[in-house]
Amino acid sequence: MGKPMIEVGSVTYAMKGRGLLARYGIWSRVEKIARTAQGRGCSFGIYVPNRTNEAENILKREGIPVFGRSEREVQL
Amino acid sequence: MIYLDNAATTYPKPRAVRIAVQRALVRYGANPGRAGHAMAIASSEEVYRCRCEAADFFNAPGPECVAFTLNCTSAVNFVLKGLLHAGDHVVVSCLEHNAVMRPLHALAASGVTWTEARVFPGDNDRTVAAFREALRDNTKLVFCTHASNVWGIRLPVERIAALARQYGVPTAVDCAQSAGLLPIDMADSGIDYLCAAGHKGLYGPMGTGMLITPHGGELATLVEGGTGTESLSQEQPSGMPERFESGTVNMPGIAGLRAGIDFVRCTGRSHILEHEISLLRSLYAGLSATDGVELYTPMPDPRWCAPVLSFNLRGMASEEVGRALGACGIAVRAGLHCAPSAHRFYGTLERGAVRICPSAFSTQTDMRTLLAAVRQILMKKSRKKALNLSKDMVK
Repeated sequence: MGKPMIEVGSVTYAMKGRGLLARYGIWSRVEKIARTAQGRGCSFGIYVPNRTNEAENILKREGIPVFGRSEREVQL
Repeated sequence: MIYLDNAATTYPKPRAVRIAVQRALVRYGANPGRAGHAMAIASSEEVYRCRCEAADFFNAPGPECVAFTLNCTSAVNFVLKGLLHAGDHVVVSCLEHNAVMRPLHALAASGVTWTEARVFPGDNDRTVAAFREALRDNTKLVFCTHASNVWGIRLPVERIAALARQYGVPTAVDCAQSAGLLPIDMADSGIDYLCAAGHKGLYGPMGTGMLITPHGGELATLVEGGTGTESLSQEQPSGMPERFESGTVNMPGIAGLRAGIDFVRCTGRSHILEHEISLLRSLYAGLSATDGVELYTPMPDPRWCAPVLSFNLRGMASEEVGRALGACGIAVRAGLHCAPSAHRFYGTLERGAVRICPSAFSTQTDMRTLLAAVRQILMKKSRKKALNLSKDMVK
């Protein structure tokens, strides 16, 4: 399936991205990321368990700054 | 109390705004954009909804273009001090508020200069020509008010922005007095930086304002700090809106602002404008028929002005009139309204003026009561004068 968390840098872009994906019928959720894949520190991402690659392409096409992909942190 | 100081802050606030603020204190008590727990995310959602509402209201490119500020003044400072450097020149209008002029004076120490373009009320061609003449080779910004906070005079900001764009100069507009009343379309107008107050015509709580721009990344920052993002970096994030939102934002205020914008949208911006203008037209007719009232501007017309009307009473200081109206239970703002440039324009720099600004909740009865109070003040003044005269004669 690949890494399902798409890192977008801010909660604002995460929420905007979630709205865009919903228009394409892709379910997603905004989640906090403690450490990004690029080591930039705290950030927000869009958890997209299905159609993740397609979602990433949509986000890029719609002008959402995508910083990378990561595994979702384990929830206890 | 009859409250007619709505140009400073609208009062009362719509019921939905009061409820939204209270609800935010209960439901959204965590910092938005920081933690990942449920209440923090819920707070972030509410802030995001307000960004969307504001972006939609002003037809901005997207919610990320909306940065929440303390008020319009802080948004103005972010633009002026973030964009201008030594040797840069700015064109402003001759009606600017101190929110624009004081930062410019502070920037003068670092070599920033400006030219005041004259405004010709009711003649947009001449106003635009004055802005064109004021442009220089080193002009880096055109910054003007959308509507004078003293006289209500409306500037053709769309035409001014189009002119500036021809010369490759960005335009910033101080919409403190116009947001929620006059039409503002960022996409159509070509305005690059829109500075708005949340607590005036948008009916939000005090302590709310917005800088709306797709070019936020080009501005240097005045305030740096925690944004909940890119925490390992010591550099301020370049992306909007976090770049201008260091520290905890005014969560209850933003929730109230969203409800306020919604109130304006549901009531109808143009409906509110027509209502307020019709109130001022009635008042204007009564004042102009009253001996002793000094009016400076023509009959209010929404093509040329926002609903703000200032006047004086012959032989009285504006503050004296303001106090007398206050004693009658009518709240107005007298003095210079933090806009000496605007007062210089009509020669009222020495005595100021009495400013009347209705809101969506003001009524024709309020205008009649105000007019009666003005006439009573004039009558008392006239009697007092006659009495003093007769005393002098007796002496």
